[in-house]
Amino acid sequence: MTLSPEIILLSMVAAYILAKLFKISTELSMFFAALAGALAGGAGIPARHIAEGAFTYLDIILIFITATFFMNLLKESGGVAFVIRGILRKFHHSKILLFLLLTLILLIPGALTGAGSVTVLITGGMIAVVLGYMGLSRPRTAAIVFIIAGLSAAAPPVSLWAMLTAAGVNMPYVGFFLPLLIPCVLLSLLTIFILGWKGKRVDLDKALKELPEAPDKMNWLRVILPFVAFFFLIAAGRVWPHSLPIVGLPLMFVVSALLSLLLSPIRLSVFRIARDTIRQLLPLIGTLTCVGILVQIMTLTGVRGLIAVTVVTLPVFIVVATLALTLPVSEAVLMWGAAPVLGVPLVLLFNTIGLNPIVALAGMSVIWPLGDALPPTAIIGRLTKDTVHMEEPYREMLKHCLIPAVLIAVVGTLMVLFSKKLAFLTML
Amino acid sequence: MKDHAATLRKTAFSLLALVVLISAGLQFYRHRNLREPVVLGPGVTDVKNLSDYFDGISGTINDAHVYVLEGEEPGGAILVLGGSHPEEPAGRLAAWIFAENAVVQKGRLFLILSTNRSATTVTRLGGAYPTDYSIETNFGSRTFRMGDRWSNPLDQWPDPEIYIHYPSRQELAYIDIRNINRTWPGRPHGTLTEQTCFAMTELIKKEGIDIVIDLHEAELQYPVISTIVAHSKGQDLAAFSSMMISGMEGFNIGMENSPEALRGLSHREIGDHTDAISLLLEAPEPFLDATRGRTDRKLLLEGKDRFIVRAGKHGLLFEKIDENGWPIALRVGRHCSTLLQIFELWTEEKADRGLVVSGVPRYSDIVDRGVGAFLKNPATADPNRIVYE
Repeated sequence: MTLSPEIILLSMVAAYILAKLFKISTELSMFFAALAGALAGGAGIPARHIAEGAFTYLDIILIFITATFFMNLLKESGGVAFVIRGILRKFHHSKILLFLLLTLILLIPGALTGAGSVTVLITGGMIAVVLGYMGLSRPRTAAIVFIIAGLSAAAPPVSLWAMLTAAGVNMPYVGFFLPLLIPCVLLSLLTIFILGWKGKRVDLDKALKELPEAPDKMNWLRVILPFVAFFFLIAAGRVWPHSLPIVGLPLMFVVSALLSLLLSPIRLSVFRIARDTIRQLLPLIGTLTCVGILVQIMTLTGVRGLIAVTVVTLPVFIVVATLALTLPVSEAVLMWGAAPVLGVPLVLLFNTIGLNPIVALAGMSVIWPLGDALPPTAIIGRLTKDTVHMEEPYREMLKHCLIPAVLIAVVGTLMVLFSKKLAFLTML
Repeated sequence: MKDHAATLRKTAFSLLALVVLISAGLQFYRHRNLREPVVLGPGVTDVKNLSDYFDGISGTINDAHVYVLEGEEPGGAILVLGGSHPEEPAGRLAAWIFAENAVVQKGRLFLILSTNRSATTVTRLGGAYPTDYSIETNFGSRTFRMGDRWSNPLDQWPDPEIYIHYPSRQELAYIDIRNINRTWPGRPHGTLTEQTCFAMTELIKKEGIDIVIDLHEAELQYPVISTIVAHSKGQDLAAFSSMMISGMEGFNIGMENSPEALRGLSHREIGDHTDAISLLLEAPEPFLDATRGRTDRKLLLEGKDRFIVRAGKHGLLFEKIDENGWPIALRVGRHCSTLLQIFELWTEEKADRGLVVSGVPRYSDIVDRGVGAFLKNPATADPNRIVYE
């Protein structure tokens, strides 16, 4: 006899709560919830499913490790300090110019790779220091980095939520550029100006005094070349996709890391930095591994289907009104897996009722990244907290995210609702 | 004391991880190396490989067998592709039934059962697919590998951050660089999946193929379902086939035009880049639906699921479903009858390029007797007439 998915879901929730009561870590609690689900579902301890689920996010894990390693090498070589001192010297007199520059720097890596984590890891740390010298608190800074990193992932040219959902409904990934670009840029600017408005003009002398000195031999060429190599590899893959081998983001970051190491004006302890990188990322790697296992068991036992069917069979007005809740929650549990599970039926539903599927999907794609701050994964949120060295409780960052998150949710939902009127943005 | 407890805990978790790794590793190995016998039917006159048409694929996992069934009377040539997406078993099984049963009187029939063999050796991460499924027969059961939509990352990795299709340069989701139905017409120096398509394009050109038919299944929430998708060159043939099938075979099938804006698909690129007409058949497969409940072999083969029925009641599906589901016999039967109708109509229209086939069950035969009734027993077959996929 096998239990119904409803009972299996309850047993998974109970196991998770019980594990937390015993003060077991979130990662292991998710693992125990998965085990409980498998046992209740009559699957025993399904070794293959556990191993298969654990590999679901391997590519993302490799990106995290290699990008963090690169940034840690750059930091240890004095490159980060050098860049921050440079930005402050040049732009300290104008808050508006500084904000525009910072928004651009934050948007580019995620827009090119489709991953908010890349934004956080590549530019988030440096931007946080600059914002810190404007007198912004760490949680406020973290909120700015997190929200814009999420929007950068949704921004064109690469928006994985839109691409994966479009592929699932047999829709070409064309016509998305403006429907994604306009809300992402506007919402990013709104975020930095709203959250950063209280920031003061940087006291340059004080900042330069406090900031660590960069090594004497450090210069712009040494800092920029590894980034140039990274962006060159990205661009080369676009310009000559059929003449060059596929490199993949992790190897691109390794190339940048090696360049950073070779160009460092001081001797770096590679093995220590590598060890520290893994130690720094271990909780995130654990979470991604256990979320993969949890999702696999939820699918195996029918719990994933139960959740998906419950959401998509709600009355249409409730579906639209609750997009701001269901999309981030699905992202928090499934990450990009939310696109095929919820995105596909939702886009089909919207198409059936006469909405424009491209603009509606763009609106949904803007909302999805908000889920990256929510448990059980909260991957990008936690990554941001670590990268900006925020010591306050995580909820402090969430509090500051609230206003931009509401704005994003409203804009995204309005894009879905008025997608037909906004169809001109697709230029099709 | 605390250190002791921590050591104990770490040891326990390490041992557990080791047990899981070994057990899972064995299952992965068995999946990748499961041998699937094909008992060559009386009509199979030759078994070639894709590398006979493009040497670049030689020695790779995707150097698929090409079963050739040549009639005594000259005629046309048709290529049937099963297993483009091995997570859609009806296409593979229909091609299997042709390989084990069909006899060709006129023309040449080419069959590929594992169009993307690499994708038959892996299941979808997070998808909780079974690694195989068995079809009951009167001599026991025949077991087949369950696969994925995409080539195995063990054979093609890493993925780019965005996939740019050749030659259109259309931007597609990164993962679709491993989707053989997004990499047509392929290129000789591309990825394994692109090279596989290139090899098949060469086959189509060198053998003078008139029609290519790619067999698929689709989730019920996918708008392109229970249909023949046709390149503009095959619109009339597909429309007539759809009409004849709906009138004669006991089921309905629609017809759709291949969209010009969506690149890399067989029904678009084969028609554009070769002289052949390209068609793609879709049958309903509830197992693929995102709202499916328990994911197991039963759902794969019976196609019954209460959550999908619930989604259907809310108008979210593009094909009907009730408590009887979509059993594999119905899905395989649809493909077999549709193929036969296309062959017959084509032969009526183009007598000199015709293909006359016998020995293949139709929809009603397969629904009545099951898929297993048309699979041969490898144990009693001539060993020289067995090929492994």
